[in-house]
Amino acid sequence: MSAPASKRGPLSRALMQMREDLWLQGVAISTLTVALAIMGVYLVVAFNLHQSLAHMLGGPSLTLVLAAQASPQRGQELAAELSRVPQVKQARYVDRAEALERFRRQLGPHRRLLDDLQENPLPDTVEVVLAPGIAPGQELMAQLQSRLDVAEVVASRPWLHRLEQAANTAGDLALALGILLFLGVVLMVSNTVRLAVHARRDHLELMALVGATRGYMRRPFLVEAVLQGLAAAALASLVVWALSLVLSAPSKLPLGLQLQQLVTYPRLLPLVLAGLAVLAGLMGGFLGVGRTLRLRGSV
Amino acid sequence: MITLEAVSKIYPGRREAALQEVSLQVPPGEFVYLTGPSGAGKTTLLRLLYGAELATEGRVLVGGTDVSRLPPRRLPSLRRRLGVVFQEFRLLPKQSVFENVALSLRVAGLRGTPLLQRVEEVLEQVKLSDLAQAAAGTLSGGEQQRVALARALAPGPALILADEPTGNLDPDNALMIMRLLVGDYVGGATVVVATHDPTLLSLVRGARVIHLQQGRLEQVA
Ligand SMILES: Nc1ncnc2c1ncn2[C@@H]1O[C@H](COP(=O)(O)OP(=O)(O)O)[C@@H](O)[C@H]1O
Ligand SMILES: [Mg+2]
Repeated sequence: MSAPASKRGPLSRALMQMREDLWLQGVAISTLTVALAIMGVYLVVAFNLHQSLAHMLGGPSLTLVLAAQASPQRGQELAAELSRVPQVKQARYVDRAEALERFRRQLGPHRRLLDDLQENPLPDTVEVVLAPGIAPGQELMAQLQSRLDVAEVVASRPWLHRLEQAANTAGDLALALGILLFLGVVLMVSNTVRLAVHARRDHLELMALVGATRGYMRRPFLVEAVLQGLAAAALASLVVWALSLVLSAPSKLPLGLQLQQLVTYPRLLPLVLAGLAVLAGLMGGFLGVGRTLRLRGSV
Repeated sequence: MITLEAVSKIYPGRREAALQEVSLQVPPGEFVYLTGPSGAGKTTLLRLLYGAELATEGRVLVGGTDVSRLPPRRLPSLRRRLGVVFQEFRLLPKQSVFENVALSLRVAGLRGTPLLQRVEEVLEQVKLSDLAQAAAGTLSGGEQQRVALARALAPGPALILADEPTGNLDPDNALMIMRLLVGDYVGGATVVVATHDPTLLSLVRGARVIHLQQGRLEQVA
């Protein structure tokens, strides 16, 4: 399957040199697969943690209990008013019937307990989600409390703000870790490319002597690194997918947690890994070829 | 075509100069023998001309380009105007004869039919058309040297540098190589042939002989 003798772009030159040393291809692709699989596991964990955090952080942070005489219309108005307050991300009027229905659902198998109630004990409320970074401090609480028809302000989850801060810190750390992992992949690619350059140094030296530019000599190595990266990304996606299948097999963890809810395989993972592999291939290729391609003197 | 002005070359870590204040002018189209015993500095002089080494002192001009001050990124365009036959053939042994010859054309960006035609033309000249698809490593010494020569001739260079082109060849093959370095084959190019073998000198009539001895230009005959 050699290319037509007269036509040899960087792609066919890359394929040609890759065929010359299949063993090197095997080593390159398998080490890269391991590295990308680690990257993939990291991404899956980060993705899932992010999802659960978003879920947790998404609920209301404050609940305004309305006075008994407040009409539903007043509740709607209040919610609309509060929505315009800068510290508030979202405010929603929840009447007592809806609240009871929700409570019923949350009780799940125990919902029959509520059947004996003569009347709905829950109040009408306005549920407030604070804007990111806003703490439910004294001042804000007092300000909300002072509004007409507000009987009480309940910080439903006072720890939410701190969780949010922790999540932000964790997010920064995770980003740093992700960048480190990626740099690791880049270095790995550059080492592999360096090996490939070394293996072909006679050929490269000769090309330089007959007038090849650096770019001409570098291009097939970049193409080679990108192709290896794509192959490894495909394999790594499979590995991570298989791992996520094994891990999400129904099994009981302590504290009633269920693993399968913690580990879902993001559909876009293969694409993300492929994108990262292409980027790492180009960066690592440039680094790996780097100054080793000398035009003067002998290699 | 070539101007050397008081060129000295001292390799790092060496006390003796490989070349010492060599001055020389070679006009376009001239055929020059560069002679001298082994170690006299012939290879070094050629390497300065194609920019594989930098002169320690003096100026080296090739076709008006000051090679001794040339930044690496300008080397490719210089080398495409030169045809170099290296002391060891320096072929790609696993690749075909065709590919070996095509290399010097590909790096210059030649593709398609023009490339095919040019390679076939040159292989015809060096009488290797029949072996075009053979792996270069399987050829005899004389054949390999002809491949190396074909690769140097293919781009139609204005200057041809050949380092001991008949080095390990029997007289018949040596004669064949020397015939390919003169006349129509090189199309009026300037040719410099380095050799330690005095018997070669009679093969090209009217050639200029430059003799190197321990890095110094001894005589210009
Ligand atoms: N790369 C090098 N490093 C150090 N010394 C070298 C190198 N190449 C050649 N020399 C020295 O330079 C001198 C001239 O060598 P060379 O140019 O190869 O001579 P010739 O081609 O005439 O046999 C010799 O003494 C040789 O040992
Ligand atoms: Mg020599």
